Amino acid sequence: MLSGLLLIPLLGAIALLVWPGAVSGERLRRTCLALLVLQVAWSLRVLWQFDPTISGLQLEEIAPWVGSLGLDYRLGIDGLSLPLVLINGALSLAAALVTSTSTPRPRLYYALLLLISGAVNGAFLAQNLLLFFLFYELELIPLWLLIAIWGGSNRAYAATKFLLFTAVSGVLILGAFFGLALATGTADFSLQPLLGQELGMGMQLLLMGALLVGFGIKIPLFPFHTWLPDAHTEASTPVSLLLAGVLLKLGTYGLLRFCLGLFPDAWQLMSPWLAGWAAVSVLFGSLAAIQQQDMKRMVAYSSVGHMGYVLLAAAAATPVSLLGALFQMVSHGLISALLFLLVGVVYATTGTRDLNVLRGLLNPERGLPITGSLMIAGVMASAGIPGMGGFISEFLVFRGSLVPFPVPTLLCMVGSGLTAVYFLLLVNRVFFGRLSPPADDLDTPLPAVPLARQIPALALTVAVLLLGVAPQALGTLATATTTAMGRAPQRLAALPVSAAPDRLLAGGMGQ
Amino acid sequence: MTIASLTQLICFAALSITLVVGSLGVVLLPNIVYSAFLLCGVFLSVAGLYLLLNASFVAAAQVLVYVGAVNVLILFAIMLVNKKEDLAEIPRLALRRLLSGGVCLGLFLLLLRVDLTTPWAVPGPVGIGEGATIRIGEHLFSDYLLPFELASVLLLMSMIGAIVLARRDVFGSDLITGEDVDQGLIEKVRPPLLLDPTTPSPSALQETI
Amino acid sequence: MNRFPLYRIGGPSRLRTRAAAATVRSTRRSFEADMDLFGVLPALTELPHLAAASLASVPLATAPAIGLGITAAQLNSGAIAPEAAILIALLVCLLVDLAGEEAAVRWVPPICYAGLGTALVLLARQWNAPLEPSFLGSFLADDLAVAFRAVVAASTLLSLMISWRYVERSGSPVGEYAAILLAATLGAMFLCGSTDLVSIFVSLETLSVSSYLLSGYMKRDARSGEAALKYLLVGSAAAAVFLYGASLLYGLTGGSTGLDAVGVALQTSATPVTALALVFVLATVAFKIAAVPFHQWTPDVYEGSPTPVVAFLSVGSKAAGFALALRLLVGCFDSFDTQWKLLFTVLAVLSMTLGNVVALAQTTMKRMLAYSSIGQAGFVMIGLVCGTEDGYAAMVLYMAAYLFMNLGAFACIILFSLRTGSDRISDYAGLYQKDPLITLGLSLCLLSLGGIPPMLGFFGKIYLFFAGWADHQYLLVVVGLITSVVSIYYYISVIKMMVVKEPQEASDVVKAYPPITWNLAGMGTLRTALVACVLVTAVGGVLSNPLFTWANGAVTGTPMLQQSIASSAAREATAIAAAPVPPTPAILG
Repeated sequence: MLSGLLLIPLLGAIALLVWPGAVSGERLRRTCLALLVLQVAWSLRVLWQFDPTISGLQLEEIAPWVGSLGLDYRLGIDGLSLPLVLINGALSLAAALVTSTSTPRPRLYYALLLLISGAVNGAFLAQNLLLFFLFYELELIPLWLLIAIWGGSNRAYAATKFLLFTAVSGVLILGAFFGLALATGTADFSLQPLLGQELGMGMQLLLMGALLVGFGIKIPLFPFHTWLPDAHTEASTPVSLLLAGVLLKLGTYGLLRFCLGLFPDAWQLMSPWLAGWAAVSVLFGSLAAIQQQDMKRMVAYSSVGHMGYVLLAAAAATPVSLLGALFQMVSHGLISALLFLLVGVVYATTGTRDLNVLRGLLNPERGLPITGSLMIAGVMASAGIPGMGGFISEFLVFRGSLVPFPVPTLLCMVGSGLTAVYFLLLVNRVFFGRLSPPADDLDTPLPAVPLARQIPALALTVAVLLLGVAPQALGTLATATTTAMGRAPQRLAALPVSAAPDRLLAGGMGQ
Repeated sequence: MTIASLTQLICFAALSITLVVGSLGVVLLPNIVYSAFLLCGVFLSVAGLYLLLNASFVAAAQVLVYVGAVNVLILFAIMLVNKKEDLAEIPRLALRRLLSGGVCLGLFLLLLRVDLTTPWAVPGPVGIGEGATIRIGEHLFSDYLLPFELASVLLLMSMIGAIVLARRDVFGSDLITGEDVDQGLIEKVRPPLLLDPTTPSPSALQETI
Repeated sequence: MNRFPLYRIGGPSRLRTRAAAATVRSTRRSFEADMDLFGVLPALTELPHLAAASLASVPLATAPAIGLGITAAQLNSGAIAPEAAILIALLVCLLVDLAGEEAAVRWVPPICYAGLGTALVLLARQWNAPLEPSFLGSFLADDLAVAFRAVVAASTLLSLMISWRYVERSGSPVGEYAAILLAATLGAMFLCGSTDLVSIFVSLETLSVSSYLLSGYMKRDARSGEAALKYLLVGSAAAAVFLYGASLLYGLTGGSTGLDAVGVALQTSATPVTALALVFVLATVAFKIAAVPFHQWTPDVYEGSPTPVVAFLSVGSKAAGFALALRLLVGCFDSFDTQWKLLFTVLAVLSMTLGNVVALAQTTMKRMLAYSSIGQAGFVMIGLVCGTEDGYAAMVLYMAAYLFMNLGAFACIILFSLRTGSDRISDYAGLYQKDPLITLGLSLCLLSLGGIPPMLGFFGKIYLFFAGWADHQYLLVVVGLITSVVSIYYYISVIKMMVVKEPQEASDVVKAYPPITWNLAGMGTLRTALVACVLVTAVGGVLSNPLFTWANGAVTGTPMLQQSIASSAAREATAIAAAPVPPTPAILG
């Protein structure tokens, strides 16, 4: 069942690569789209079979693989990974849809896209540490190629930077996994028996630190974030969309699943510092975003800020905050994908992303009214305006974290306010602004974007809105898992927060 | 001390002194012909030491192989390549000599220490005199059969290799395509990249690493 | 009984029936005839001393077979049947070569395939066979030896497959080339199984002398000559050092050259002489596997040698070196394992660091792969230092993986240089458009060397690191992890050249790329070898469980390794019992 989520894209990618003879770009695109639709359908089928009342793993698949390494093929899904798998399917499809039909070297491009999609699915589903690592590394080279081949002018630098940062992150994670599997004396990498193993605190801190830095590079958190703006600036729109929407979630997923799940004691001990780190990361991301003149860089830095909320929520580790973290991951996936998509449209039509040059694009005479409107919707969602997906997730995060860590949470709220500041700056300059005299060639009417190309953006906006007005759908999927995860550390050392999570959730949903 | 052991001691001392002084001469003398002849003396004194150890077969082999073959070959080589060549001055020669002398001295001291601290099993097994030759033959066809036979492969290969490297006939053309060949590496030497006039653009230069 | 006519004098009747005098005469005749040739080889000239000196003083009792007559069954000569197959192929190659170059071009390849194929089949039949020493203790075909010999034979087979066109294109004689390469294989395979200092030395020399000849095979090329000369000088020095060490070991045993006798003697002696012998022996091993700081010959030799020869040197010769390391260090110096493990830790750290860092700055593929092979040897040394079951198995596994990925990379490089006459990395720019096969194959092999999943190299490397971590070799594993990130960078930069560069950025040689043809003799086998290596590299990772089983079997089927594992476990147990607190990492908590 779950293997289908891996096999469809991975085998599809190989088939696309080795299919003999010349195949037209259009046909490759259609095949890729068909495979991605199939993948989405398959993930819906998984959703259909998923029982949201069970907090543990479901639909498990276990097969022996390499016994000597403690590596077995063990897949499973729970309320944490299911939404991410769904997001991955949807965003991969969106990325393939917004790819220009005349993209160069289509065969390699679509194969890599499928490869990434399959690898990310694998990472979300893997229940064996080495298997997770394998998929985590598997996505590295395809994404490097996607940036390096189809990127902007400085793509070689950005791609290599991305590669090295991620490789270092992989090394740290591998080291921590080794340490974990061997310190517990099992030499077995399957995730389930390891949960609940109790190590000495020093060892826990050491291993968790390595994991934290490893995933912190991927998320990215403040001092390790420098690859992200470069990668986003140079990557093409679909790649940016995938990177922000899906791949960063690998980091936060790892944070929740491994750092929090495997080292509850150490996490408990470190959580005030982690909350502080989250606040620093949020504030830094927001302040850096204000300074940016490039739309894409601004959105990239906003990602740095918004992913900080997840760390804050994970640090609090209350049932509500963890649910908030999941909501934030999903909503950030959707919103940042939407924003990158729209920035891509602006860049494609005007040829620039410079905030000092662009202005008045919302004006119907100028030609980008729909894009502008969607952008405003996306920005509102990102800033946490009620009724949008961003609000519900930020609310849950702050509500869950406020009691254990009031100061960092308040600082993060400031960061949330700053989001409004920089995105208002962006919208104000690019989409409002005054029309200048027609002599300026930038002010000549722009070619209208065909409606068909706007469909992914429209769909994403609808999804963001739906998440805002009907969060129960996602909530019911994930509550059982996040509640169980949130209770685990509390059982070990009673946190001050003891409010019944179900009631709080009901309150959260009701907004 | 019997007269026999005294004679033995004197012979040993004489041979050792010849050996050490001769070796130093081989290394230190600037004229290569002197070195070659001194090497001959060194080999002979080693053969003498073997005789003292009752290993007459090895001594004979030493004389035949080293003095008769190796050293003669060396002399031939020196005579054939009798070309005066002014070598370039080596910078900081004195320092280099000092350093290598230091290393050698250190190694010597180490060996001395090893020699003095090791409880050697003296005296070793009793020599069997003339029987040694037979014993060697027996060993070569019993427990040293494998290395002995393998040595024949080694020698065959060295012979063939020497012939291949030394022979003059060169195929002028590729037997299959008929192209000209030069018995060199396929990867041709090309001028360094920065001096290459055919380099298309500066961007290619940046990408070399 | 006498299945091998080559071993004519080892036959059953001769020693028993002939008079002793006749034996001696014939012995001396052949010995002297051989000795005349000894003069050609400077490194070998030490040999008669050691052999003769040892023989003269061995009491009769240590060689029980003498005087009783030896039968082929006592020799257990079936153990070297694979080598015999190769030897026959070698001789047939030489005979065929007499008929002229045209005949050689036609017939030598199938003869080599037949010989090596037979050898591999015979090796497979030796796997897990009942173990008994052969040639009165000179050779032992345990599973470890079988595994390493198989790696060597397979590397020769693949190297030969990718070299025909290269050799013909350069106008060098094919018959002698194949013969010398087969002789090198013979030496390497004997080295894997030798259990006697004299056998080790002779097989080491057979491998080395053949390697010198091969690296100088392009005799009209100054670089090739320089490579051969450098290799010869450094290699002879290493051989002399080994001989010195071996003579010290022989002195310790008091009259035996067998490795088991050496091991027994070393258990009771802890004098400086053993330290000296250890250092000397270790230096030779390090030279053979090109560990830093004994690596200086590698880049120049790799650059100047014909590329297929480099392929063999980097895999076959290195595998033999590791087998030698296991035999000598694990088999003999087991009682000094803290000392040699410390030394090897230093060598491994230096090799991984220097090899991978210097590889960053290289501009030609051959030099880059030379430094990368130094780094890869450093990774394999992690398994050696561990000394656990997993460590040894990881070594075997990684050598097997390295065989395929490295030879695959070399096949691509050879193909590229055959078509363009270049091996500069910058000349690969934009290759994907002109030659997708090379691009795909080289990319996959380099990714595998860099340890990117799901290639075979990823699993090999993970296993090495896993074994190292399990044995608490944290320094080695951390250095290994960091340097493998570095290695990803330079492997990736080649891929970047080939895949990322746009057609307008392509290099001149790629712009003038010849049309792709496979119809010339030798190209078909090159393609077959390339595709086979790339397939194994790419798919072997996912299907690697049999390979893991095989590697583990090689370790469990080898009494020498099992003994060492058991004794180190016993030592650890007593150490833990003696110490008040167990030194496990859990104490950190």
